Amino acid sequence: MATAPIPGAAPARTSRMNPWVLAGGLAVVVPLLAVLVLNLGRDPRSVRSPLIGRAAPAFSLAPVGGGAPISLESLRGRPAIINFWATWCVPCFEEHAALTAAARTFREVHFLGIVYEDEEATTQAFLAQRGSSYSSLLDPEGRTAIAYGVFGVPETFFIDGAGRIVEKYVGPLDRGTIAALIARAKGGAP
Amino acid sequence: MNRVALALVLVAAPSLAAAQASRATAGGIEAPRSHPLSGAELDARTSDIGALLRCPVCQGLSVADSPSSMARNMKAEVREKLAAGYDQEQILASFERSYGEFVRLDPPMRGVNWLVWLAPLAGLAAGGAAVAWALKRSSRNAGAAEATGPASAASDLPSRDTLPADPRLAAAVRRSRELAYGWPGGIPPKPRSSAS
Repeated sequence: MATAPIPGAAPARTSRMNPWVLAGGLAVVVPLLAVLVLNLGRDPRSVRSPLIGRAAPAFSLAPVGGGAPISLESLRGRPAIINFWATWCVPCFEEHAALTAAARTFREVHFLGIVYEDEEATTQAFLAQRGSSYSSLLDPEGRTAIAYGVFGVPETFFIDGAGRIVEKYVGPLDRGTIAALIARAKGGAP
Repeated sequence: MNRVALALVLVAAPSLAAAQASRATAGGIEAPRSHPLSGAELDARTSDIGALLRCPVCQGLSVADSPSSMARNMKAEVREKLAAGYDQEQILASFERSYGEFVRLDPPMRGVNWLVWLAPLAGLAAGGAAVAWALKRSSRNAGAAEATGPASAASDLPSRDTLPADPRLAAAVRRSRELAYGWPGGIPPKPRSSAS
């Protein structure tokens, strides 16, 4: 392009990247991308329970329908499964059948339900209708649920014979998972 | 001597706090460290501590702000513990034992959490340094431009007398400068004070 020279015209600007800007940008973007990629498959709501490997929090709660309170202490010596559930929780329905069947199969394991934010009458009606092979306990002020770090229902804790929490399972259990986790609770017993 | 002691305390404080926190997390029930509260003070402290606890069943709400029954139960437990004489750290640690650090809305300064507190300051310092460096460089370039004349300015940035290469565009820019700044012919006046 032949044009008359213009006094003060800027020289043609070449697009060159300042290496420091590039390095700074990468230093910010790469770690963020790494965190994103590493956590893509992770459910943001599932926080690993700090109770795993620790002694299960003690409780002493009255069963649904009345009777003497059942304490964690009284379950010592055998593995225990503690299932937090509610009648308003649909996944708990499916799980209830699997747990009831498993409690009949695994006689050497204590099965316990703890009712989470539900009425005693509703729970009693549910259990009368569907049947159960193990006790469900009432936790009227939710203290036991809080002590176990329950976020929602269903959540199930697998406890070994020494009273240590071996695993926490979030979501509805099926028979295969119950059997596998019982094996771990037994393996964890001293 | 005093300064050395102060420096030692400052260096040791985070690790001491971490040790204390891990002891609190590892241990079982400890003795209350504060005095039992009641009345208006109990109400006020309950909502203070509730504001520091995350409601586990909500989306980013504190226990003090949430109307859920879970949050109500947690508030009741906070209240009971305050009435029994437990202090704030003991109460937060007791919830942390069940829910993990997730339950704290105000992460304690320990371990990797230091990053959360220090990263903004580090970012601010780095940004300040970058701005200072850029300002220094541009003022050096401006000085060089004044010393050697506008035509050989080394700066990448267009100066006030830079014109585009396109003659028609250059003419338009000159005309705009004439209108905007009152420069005859759009040519900037010579600097009044010279660097040399």
